[in-house]
Amino acid sequence: MTAPLARPSERHTEALLLFVVGLLAVLGFVLAALGLAVSAGQPPWPAALPALWPPILFALLFAGLHLLLRRGRVEMEQVLLPLVALLSAVGLVMIWRLRGESGVSQQLLRGFLPGALVMAVLILRPRWVDAIRRWSVPLSLIGLALALATAFFGVVDETGARLALKLGPLPALQTSEILKVALIIFLADYIAREGEKAEARGRPFAGWLRVPALRYFVPGLLFVVMATLALVLMSDFGAAIILAAIFAGMLYAGFETRLFVTVAAIGLGLALVVIAVLVFTWKIPAVVQMRFIAFADPWSTAPLVINGRPLGITVSQGPGYQIQQALYAIIAGGVGGTGLGFGSPQYIPLAWSDFIFASLLEEMGAVVGFAVLVVFAIVLLRLLRLAALLPREQTFERLLLAGITIHLFAQVFIMVAGTINLLPLTGVTVPFLSLGGVALAINLSEIGIALALVRRLEALPA
Amino acid sequence: MLTVQTVLFAAKWVFVALIYLVLLLVLVAVRREMALRLRAGQPLPSTAPGRLRVAEAGSDPRLHPDEVLLLKPTTTLGAEADNDLILLDGFVSAHHARLRWDGAGWWLEDLGSKNGTYVNSERLVPLAAQQVALGARLRLGDTVLELQA
Repeated sequence: MTAPLARPSERHTEALLLFVVGLLAVLGFVLAALGLAVSAGQPPWPAALPALWPPILFALLFAGLHLLLRRGRVEMEQVLLPLVALLSAVGLVMIWRLRGESGVSQQLLRGFLPGALVMAVLILRPRWVDAIRRWSVPLSLIGLALALATAFFGVVDETGARLALKLGPLPALQTSEILKVALIIFLADYIAREGEKAEARGRPFAGWLRVPALRYFVPGLLFVVMATLALVLMSDFGAAIILAAIFAGMLYAGFETRLFVTVAAIGLGLALVVIAVLVFTWKIPAVVQMRFIAFADPWSTAPLVINGRPLGITVSQGPGYQIQQALYAIIAGGVGGTGLGFGSPQYIPLAWSDFIFASLLEEMGAVVGFAVLVVFAIVLLRLLRLAALLPREQTFERLLLAGITIHLFAQVFIMVAGTINLLPLTGVTVPFLSLGGVALAINLSEIGIALALVRRLEALPA
Repeated sequence: MLTVQTVLFAAKWVFVALIYLVLLLVLVAVRREMALRLRAGQPLPSTAPGRLRVAEAGSDPRLHPDEVLLLKPTTTLGAEADNDLILLDGFVSAHHARLRWDGAGWWLEDLGSKNGTYVNSERLVPLAAQQVALGARLRLGDTVLELQA
C-alpha cells in the first residue's frame, strides 16, 4: 500500500524544491570562490567564507516569498517560484565568478530586492492586479513617457546609444525594460476592452479575411508606433524586436484568427514599406549593419566598411570578435564544462550580461546549459497553463499572462540564438540570468503577477 | 592523493546533479498534479449512466460530503496517481477496486486490496466482480461512496 499523497496546501513540494535550490546556490558560490582562488594560485579555503553571504541572502528572499504564499493558503503552482529561483541562482553564481562581490551586490540590491518586494506586495494583495487594470492607461503612458524622455535626454553610453535615464541622485534607469511591461499592460487592457467590439464590427474582405473597424485600432497602433520610435531614437533595436514580438503575440492571443491574419498582414506590409523607405532614403544604423555583417561571417578578415567609410579594422577584429569569443568559450566548455573559475569567459565582451549563456556553457558545460533551457521551457508552459486555467471572463488577466510569456520567451530565444550565432546579435538580457537591475526586477514582478493570479484563482468559489 | 582539484571536480558534478534533481522533482510534482483532477474542477469524461455521491469523506482532505463524482464506463479507484478516481485515504490500497458498466448494470471488483471493499457493509470476495444496485453504499477504507443514477 502506498502512503497517501501529501496535502498540497502545505506547499511541501515548493519547500523541498527551494531547499535544494538553496543548497545548490551555496555550493555554486563556494565552488566559484575556490576555483578562482586555485587558478590564481592562492590558498583556496580562506576564499570560501566570504562567498557565503550572497547565497544566504538570496535564499532568505525566496524563503520569505515561500512563507508569504504559505500564509496566503495558496495551494496551486508550487514549481514556478523554485524554477525561477534555480535560474536566478545559476545566474548569480556566474555573476559572482565574473564580477565578484560588486556585481553580486548590484544584482541583489537593484534587481532581487525591488523585484522580491513587488512580488511580496502582489502575493499579499492579489487585488492589486485589478488596480493595474484600472490604471492601465496612465501606467502605460508613464512607461512611454519615460522611454521618450530617455530618447531625448538619456545618458549616451560608449556605443552612442541612449539607453538609460538619469533622474537626480537615483541610479540610471533602463527605461526600455519598463516600456516592454507598459506595452503588455496597455495591449492586455486594450484588447480586453475593445477586442470583442472590433471583432463584431469587422467587415469581410477578400472572402475569408476580416478588416476591423479602423477606429478600434488607432490608439493601439499609435502606442506601438510611438514606442518603436522611442526605441529607434535610443538605438535599442533589441528592445524594438521584443516589442514587435509582444505586439504580434498578444494580437494572436487576443483576436480571432481571421482578424489577426488581416491585421498582421497589414502590419507586416506597413513595416516592409517603412523599412524599404528607410533603406533607400536613410542609412541603416551602423550598429544594425555591424550586427548583420558579424552574423554572416564572424571570422571574416575582410576590412570593415560601414556606409562607405572604412573603419580600419577587419570584421573579425570588430563586430565579429564577441561572437568568436562566445563560440570559443562554448567549445572550451564542452559537455561537462571547465569547472567554475577554471575557464576564461572574461575574454568575451559583456560576458556577465548579453553573453552570460556563453560563459555559463564554458564553465558549467552543456549539461547545465541544457537544464537551464528546459527550466525556461517549463516556466513558460506553467505561465500559459495558468492563463488557460483562469475563467473565460478574465480576459485582461489572461492576456497579461500571454504577454508576459511572450516577453520572457522572446528574450531567452533571441539571446541564446545570438550567443550561438543562429541569429544576429541583439543587446537584451537573458531573464533571471544576466546582470541587470531594472530588467531583473521587472522579470521578477511579472512572476509576481502570475502568483497573485494563482492566489486570486483559488479564492474564487468553485 | 586527494587534491583540491579533485574535490572541486567531484563537487562540480554534485552541483550538476542538484540541478537535475530539481528538474526531476518538478516533473514528479507536475505528474502528481495532473493526477489530482478532482480538485481542479475538471469532471471525468462521462458516458456511463452513473455517479458516486460522497457519503462519508473519510481521511481524504479533498473530498467533501455530498460531492458528486462522475464515472467512466470503467473507473478504477485507488490511492495511486494512475487511477481514474484517486482516493487519498490512508486505508485505500494503491489499486483498490474497479467499477464497470456492462450496458445494463454496474459491476464492482475488489482488486486484491489490503483492507477490502464493502458493499452495504458486506465484504466483497477479492478479484470477483459483483453486480451492485443503484443506491448501494460502497466503502473503501474510511471513504463511503453511494452509487447513483
